[in-house]
Amino acid sequence: MFFREIDMSTNIVFLLFCAGLVGLGGVAFVLSRAKATRVRATGTSMYAQPDQYGWFAVLTTAGPALLISALGAFVLLLMGADIPLLYLLAASLVIAAIGLVLGLNQVRPDFHARRAIESVIRKLLAAAAAISILTTLGILISIVGEALRFFQLHSFWDFITGTTWNPGASFLSSAGRGEDGGSAAQFGSVPLFAGTFMITLIAMLVAIPVGLGAAVYMVEFAPARVRQAAKPVLEVLAGIPTVVYGVFAALTVAPLVVDIAGLFGLEASYSNALAPGLVMGIMIIPFISSLSDDVINSVPSSLREGALALGITKGEMVRNVVVPAAAPGIISASLLAVSRALGETMIVVMAAGMRPNLTANPLEDMTTVTVSIVAALTGDQEFGSAQTLSAFALGLVLFIVTLTLNIVSVIMIRRFREKYRVNNL
Amino acid sequence: MSQSFEEISAQLKKRHRRSARMKWMTMGALILAAVFLVFFISDMVVRGWPAFQQAQIKVDITYNEQSKEIPLAAVNETVRPLVSRGVFRTLPQRMESNPELMGTTKTQWVIADSPVDQYLQGNKSELSAEAREVVDRLVRQGRAELKFNTRFFTAGDSKMPELAGIAAAAIGTLMTMLVTMSVCFPIGVMTAVYLEEFAPDNKLTQIVEININNLAAVPSILFGLLGLAIYIGFFGVPRSSPLVGGLTLALMTLPVIIISTRAALRSVPDSIRHAAFGVGCSRWQVVRDHVLPVSLPGILTGSIIGLAQAMGETAPLILVGMVAFIPEASMTLTDASTVMPAQIFTWASEPDSAFAEKTAGGILVLLAVLIFLNALAVWLRNKFERRW
Amino acid sequence: MNRILKSRVLKTTALAAAVMSVAGVAQAQERQQLRIVGSSTVYPFASYVVEEFGATTDYQTPVIESTGSGGGLKLFCEGPGIDTPDITNASRRIKISEFKRCQENGVTDITEAKIGYDGIVLAEASEGHEQLNLTRKQIFLALAAKVPQNGKLVDNPYEKWSDIDPSLPDREIEVYGPPTTSGTRDAFEELVMEHASENMKAYGGEGYTDIRQDGAYIDAGENDNLIVQRIQENTTAFGIFGYSFLEENQDILMAASIGGVEPKPEAIGSGKYPVARSLFFYVKNQHADSVPAMYPYANLFLSEKMIGPMGYLKGLGLIPLPEKLREEQREDLANRETLKLSDLK
Repeated sequence: MFFREIDMSTNIVFLLFCAGLVGLGGVAFVLSRAKATRVRATGTSMYAQPDQYGWFAVLTTAGPALLISALGAFVLLLMGADIPLLYLLAASLVIAAIGLVLGLNQVRPDFHARRAIESVIRKLLAAAAAISILTTLGILISIVGEALRFFQLHSFWDFITGTTWNPGASFLSSAGRGEDGGSAAQFGSVPLFAGTFMITLIAMLVAIPVGLGAAVYMVEFAPARVRQAAKPVLEVLAGIPTVVYGVFAALTVAPLVVDIAGLFGLEASYSNALAPGLVMGIMIIPFISSLSDDVINSVPSSLREGALALGITKGEMVRNVVVPAAAPGIISASLLAVSRALGETMIVVMAAGMRPNLTANPLEDMTTVTVSIVAALTGDQEFGSAQTLSAFALGLVLFIVTLTLNIVSVIMIRRFREKYRVNNL
Repeated sequence: MSQSFEEISAQLKKRHRRSARMKWMTMGALILAAVFLVFFISDMVVRGWPAFQQAQIKVDITYNEQSKEIPLAAVNETVRPLVSRGVFRTLPQRMESNPELMGTTKTQWVIADSPVDQYLQGNKSELSAEAREVVDRLVRQGRAELKFNTRFFTAGDSKMPELAGIAAAAIGTLMTMLVTMSVCFPIGVMTAVYLEEFAPDNKLTQIVEININNLAAVPSILFGLLGLAIYIGFFGVPRSSPLVGGLTLALMTLPVIIISTRAALRSVPDSIRHAAFGVGCSRWQVVRDHVLPVSLPGILTGSIIGLAQAMGETAPLILVGMVAFIPEASMTLTDASTVMPAQIFTWASEPDSAFAEKTAGGILVLLAVLIFLNALAVWLRNKFERRW
Repeated sequence: MNRILKSRVLKTTALAAAVMSVAGVAQAQERQQLRIVGSSTVYPFASYVVEEFGATTDYQTPVIESTGSGGGLKLFCEGPGIDTPDITNASRRIKISEFKRCQENGVTDITEAKIGYDGIVLAEASEGHEQLNLTRKQIFLALAAKVPQNGKLVDNPYEKWSDIDPSLPDREIEVYGPPTTSGTRDAFEELVMEHASENMKAYGGEGYTDIRQDGAYIDAGENDNLIVQRIQENTTAFGIFGYSFLEENQDILMAASIGGVEPKPEAIGSGKYPVARSLFFYVKNQHADSVPAMYPYANLFLSEKMIGPMGYLKGLGLIPLPEKLREEQREDLANRETLKLSDLK
């Protein structure tokens, strides 16, 4: 691969290349600016400033050269083609020289140098914007591609409906030890999704009341100073890294749950689902509260004032007018929060169990989709074994579910926006 | 309308009471959130504070031929089991590089072994009864005490809890953040500038915008899968390196930077732009010379917040292998390294209970850095942002 | 120099510096950092040596990952290239199928080094429990996927230990154990499962090693520390791991004696404890010239101060080899003895 094939002497080649480019660029700038100044001094009016002709010449010199060398590097990477680096860079420098000459040529009174430069800049910015598209494509290709490879090995139907998740034996066959292992690996993902949903449900039961309540209080009831003070508190909650929440869940909350359950005579596992669920709920409170805050704030005051004018109390106004009006926005916020909880990894890796367990009892240990993804990929690192690929299959389902939730959430917010002609959401 | 005045006022009182109840309940919700925070922080501080203290013992170290061969012999027999192995480990090397030490006996403070540290802190310790007596005697003589643990900030990870520190992880975080920011800041700002100032209002632009909003909500672990499949699998970037970690995080932070930069650009009033157009600037000149300088504080604020978010990420980095055992940090981009949240994660899974305080100590350091970054962003925003 | 030209020079220098840093950081044909993978049982010992190596020599600290013996050997045998691991640790000997795969992929010159003995224990939290004595057959019946009943093989019906034998505790069968990438798992299957089932007619005279997948055996990943944590919290469960983890946690854990023999260092070293095995590491001699740190590290690992009876690793739970064997290992390493197929048969 690329990073192994370079050796130390290419450092010198790179250095020479950069020096060459800088040198040529500098020369291009100085020469074309001088030429433009000369032309201008004769009295002809030009479409652009001498500096701009200078910059344009630099662009024609360095631009193609960089493009060609980048393309060549890419080809080296992907095709593994045998283009000696030296030739590639030398060719680029030659192209740079040609570009210099061409750029100098363009120093004419009727050439819009500035417009040319700006169109290049514009294209550069558009290319940057395209990178985000490339990222999404990258995610799709990598996840979908590997997931499809997985579904060639194991049936999709079993994956979706099966209730036993036991990937262990797949390692043996990919290590060339197929005769060693016994029973075949099974990839039924239902217990994993059940675990994820259970923990997410607990998280939502904590986050929605507290988050919504806090938002309502801050918008409707709180004096300005309390609002000022409350904002940073919630921002801090949002900024705490999830691994820290995970440690908190595993070291403090889980034993607490076990003790409290013991008081009621119930037996709870130390890896119970309640602990990560509660902590995840705490983590999500700021999400819901800040999004709901914005939405409730945006409910037009005409609605509020009209209601109050009819003589209802403030509490009734909030409950019967404001919250229903803000409902689409609040639902949208909750959906986003659910999507966040589904994809959360560190809290569950550290506090939830390792055993796929299909149960309705939150005091038992169970594992989730994200924990299984991590478990599948740390250990056997080879690509191509069903265990590694199963992580991608899980990732694909996770991606589709969170994407759907996000899209629905955006649609709801849009509906809210349209209903009340609000611009700032 | 056949209700009496009394009935109506009773009803009204009930309604007002209900309204007040709502006020108290929602206030209770806010207070609950604040209580969670306080409980959480104090729990971490209580757990992590001991990590900043380390037991040290004043011993006489004899540097001679025998101790060069067998380092354990350099220290008196009663005190020997109480001193950390890390002290003995480097004795031969030290004697090699400082020949003037040969034949001397120096009295100095050295790091004590972990059970001693745990005993002095009041935790469960595996020290034997006789060893405890020795330690108590040393404490009375003033030759054993808990000192501030500077090693926590200067050393890398270790199998021996008394020697473990967060420095290697901090350097790893630095290198990784360098890669992340140098990739996603330029691309993010350029994308935002394009979308805000240059893009035509057509379907393609809308698709790009929807795409960015979706990316912002993708679970972080999926970026880890992306990094594993494409950077490590396809491009062959070395596993566990800050390069691959930084590139993975860069893609994750990109939407954040784009969205916050767009907000900053949007907050610049159109009058500025129109004025610039009015004097004949081209669109690029308007952006470069008028819009960008004014919105720069907002852009920086958003980037710092994005940086803080990226610093706390662990899940994608676990998938690209940055959870190795790293006792010594290297400042290159391709050697294996770890980051602070990953270090916290590995310490949390160590069974030795002495690592529990290191985990919490690491958490405190990480939180301190993040709070600093967020405070910096807020200060920037308050000081430089212009109110239009 | 005017402002524009100066900024231009600045920008290009920055660009050059960026390109340089990426290029300058590219690996040469020689690698300074040793790469070690392999067994999670050997991991605590090997990482101790890694740390010592980095602290006391001028070589860069090696990077070590715990992938499991099987996982490590798979990576090790991918090929002789410089991007493959240099050393792999294993808590069981390399299998013939793995050795053949190595040969096929071009890894033809490896040296085997035995570092000590280890026993596999079935441990539980010591609080509130009495010393338990199990036979290998009982453990087999508790964990096998299919057990004989009335002469036929049925899915394992045993829910509690007392179902197998009334003298055993009235607790649900719950065992945290290693995954299939683990050498501990391989050794456990061979020494307990296979041994117990070899003479059972129902299995046709061949050993049966399938472990049940109905939740009684919980795959806990390559992190043995996690198993220790779990059985501390879940006091009715057992854990399967190497002796070193028992010794490190002696105050809170207790292991069952198997066949009447308690897992103690002398019993493991002499072979009286039935579930005893050796720990190894394998060196890729083909990396001798490209990775200068490899042999110094390996020599440090095999030195008296590490694996000797007064060595540091003994304090971590490694059971030392007899002196003659230790000398033999050092000699083999010095001569870079190539492992042959005949050695493994």
